[in-house]
Amino acid sequence: MRFPVVWAGVVLVSGLVVAKLHAEEIPDLKDPKVITAGHELYLEKQCAHCHGEDGRGGVNLAQRTLDAKGVFTSIADGRERNGIRMPEWRGVLSDKQIWEATAYVLSISQASNKAAN
Amino acid sequence: MKASLASSLGLACFLTTATVVFAADPGAEDPNNWPQYNRTANAWRYSPLDQINKDNVSKLSVAWIAHGGNITMGIQQTPIVIDGVIYSITSGNRVAALDGKTGQQIWVYEPRLDPLTKKVLFAPYSRGVAVGHGMVFIGTVDGRGIALDQKTGKEKWQVQLTDFANCHGCNFTSPPVVAGDILTFGSTAGELATQGKIYGVEAATGNKAWEFNTIKEDPKSWPGESGKHGGGGAWMPGNYDAKTDTVFYGTGNPGKDFDASDRKGDNLYTDSVVALEAKTGKLKWHRQEIPHDVWDFDSPYEVLQFTKDGKDLIVHMNKSGYVFVLDKNNGNIDNIWPISDLKNFVKNIDPKTGELIGRVELTMNKETLICPSTFGARSWNAGAYNPKTGLWYNNVLDFCAYLKPVAQKVDPKEYGTGNTGSNDFGRMVMAPDGRKPGQLSANDPFTGKQKWSYAMDVPGFSCVLTTAGGLVFNGDPMGKLQAFDAETGKVLWSFNTGSGMRGGIVTYAVDGEQYILVPSGWGSYAALLLPALFPQLENVPAASMLIAFKISK
Repeated sequence: MRFPVVWAGVVLVSGLVVAKLHAEEIPDLKDPKVITAGHELYLEKQCAHCHGEDGRGGVNLAQRTLDAKGVFTSIADGRERNGIRMPEWRGVLSDKQIWEATAYVLSISQASNKAAN
Repeated sequence: MKASLASSLGLACFLTTATVVFAADPGAEDPNNWPQYNRTANAWRYSPLDQINKDNVSKLSVAWIAHGGNITMGIQQTPIVIDGVIYSITSGNRVAALDGKTGQQIWVYEPRLDPLTKKVLFAPYSRGVAVGHGMVFIGTVDGRGIALDQKTGKEKWQVQLTDFANCHGCNFTSPPVVAGDILTFGSTAGELATQGKIYGVEAATGNKAWEFNTIKEDPKSWPGESGKHGGGGAWMPGNYDAKTDTVFYGTGNPGKDFDASDRKGDNLYTDSVVALEAKTGKLKWHRQEIPHDVWDFDSPYEVLQFTKDGKDLIVHMNKSGYVFVLDKNNGNIDNIWPISDLKNFVKNIDPKTGELIGRVELTMNKETLICPSTFGARSWNAGAYNPKTGLWYNNVLDFCAYLKPVAQKVDPKEYGTGNTGSNDFGRMVMAPDGRKPGQLSANDPFTGKQKWSYAMDVPGFSCVLTTAGGLVFNGDPMGKLQAFDAETGKVLWSFNTGSGMRGGIVTYAVDGEQYILVPSGWGSYAALLLPALFPQLENVPAASMLIAFKISK
C-alpha cells in the first residue's frame, strides 16, 4: 500500500517539475547578448580550467555535438563520464545563468558550427 | 621465507651507498608489509623484498584483479598491506579489505557523504588509508575523520574536522598519519578561499586534540585581510618521526594563486615544510621554500629522512622542482638543487640561502610563459629512494604553461571555482626547446647528480616503487607498467594494464610469495587537463582496478 502512495507522490512532483520547466522563460540561446553573458560566466566560474578558454581544452567542447537540454542538465546537475567529473552548479548559479552558460557552450560546439555553415 | 627476506634486508642495509643509513628504522617493520603511505616513516617507498628481481622480472604475470567500484576520478590510492591483508580506498571513500593472495573482499565500508561533495572542487577521490591501533583510518571528502575496526570494517568513531559547508569545501583527499597515539589530518585549501589546517586527533577516541593553522597570524606576512582566504593547507600525507615525536608536513600554495596583489608578504606558512610536535601540534620549525608564490608551486610532497655523514637530513621537493636538503632538527639549508633544467620562474634558488633569484612576476590580464607548468616539475605522485643504488627515482614533468592573473571576487556560496585569481590553471604547452615532456629520472638525492633517465612521450603520473631486487617500477597514463634496472634504467619488463596509473605501486609478500600490486585507473585532474597537450589521453579507458602480479611458476 505504501508504494502506490509514494509513486503517486513521485508522479505529482514530476508533473509539477515538467510544468515548471515549460513555464520557464528560456532565453534565446542564439542571442549574442545571452552568449556574451554566458561567456563571462564561463570564464568567471573557471569552466576554462577543464574546457579551455576557447572550448578546446582538456575536455574539448568544440569537437562535440551538443544539445541545449543536455548542456543545461550537465551544468546544473554535474556530470560523471569515463572517470572524469564535473561538479554540479545548481544552487550556485541561477537557472537564468545556467541557460546563459548553455548558450555560450552551444555557440562553440559542433552543432553550432554546423548550423553556421 | 621471512628469515630469508629479513636477511635480504640486512644485506640491503650493508650495501647502502656511502654512509647513508635508515634514519627512521624501517628494518624494525616486517619487510613483507607495506604498512603506511610511503611504506616507512622515512618516505623512501623502498621495499627490502627481493624475490622478484632483475633475473626473473620478465616472468611476472597477473595473479588476480580486484575492482574498486566507482571509477570517478580514477584510482589514486597507495594501498596498505599488513599481514597479507590489503586495505584499499577508492572513489567516494569506499574502503575495502582484500585477501592479498586472491584479491577477494573481506569487508567493505562506504560512508554516506554530504551531498555538497557533488559541488566541491576536490572530490570524490582519496589517496589512501592509514592503519594502526587495530583500526583503519580515513579522511573523507566531506571533512571527517573516520575509524574502522581493522578486522571487521565496522565504524568505531567519526569526527567532523573541517567546517565543510563554510570553507568552500575544504576536506581530506589523503590519509591521516598515525603519529603515536595521535592521528594527523591535513586539509585541502590552496585553491579554496579558506585557511588550510592540520588537525591532531586522539587515535583511540576521535577527540580533536589540536589544530595548526597553515596561515600564520602575522600582518607582515599577510597584510590586511589577505590571510583570511590564504589557502595553504596540507593535502598530502605527512611523515612521522617517532624518535623526536615530530610530524613533518609540506604545505599548499597561497591564494589567490596567481593574483598576489593583496598579499604582499611572504605568506607563511604556505609552500613550506613544517615540523610539528605530534602530541601538541606545536610548531618546532618551518622552512618556507617558495616565499610569496605566484606560480601555484605548492610544497605538499613527501618528506624523505636520512642520516648522512652523521647528519640528520630531510630531502623535500616542491612543485617548482627544486629539491631542498634540510637539517632535520631545525630546517637549516644544507643544499638546494633543481630536478630539471626546464625552469624559468626564477633564474635560480640560492643553494645556501634559499633566496629566489630573478623571480618572474605575472602581469594582470596578460599571459606569461612559466616553466614548469602548474602541474609542477613533478606532480604529487611520490618518488622512491633505493639505498642499494643511492638513487632517488622521480617522474619529472618537462612542460610549461601560460599563466594569466585576472581579478576575482570571493563568492561565499562558491564550491566549484578555485580561489585562484584566474580563469584557468594555466594554458599548458610543450617545452620551448622541443624536448620530450617527461622522464623517469634517477638522481643523487643530496646533490641532484643524474645517473640515468628514461624519456617519455607522455609523462608519468604514478608513484614509483623501488626494491632490493634491483628494480624500479613505474606506470604511465596510457597503461604501460614497466620494470627498470635500478642501476642503469634499462627496461626489463612491460605490461599493458588497460588504463592509466595515478596511484602508488607497492609490493608485499604473503606465504613466501612476493607480489607487485598496481592501482590502475586513469583519473584525477591530470585526466581532465592533459588531453589538451596529449590528445592520445582522451581515449584512455577509465577504471578502478588493483592488479596483483607474481612470478609465474
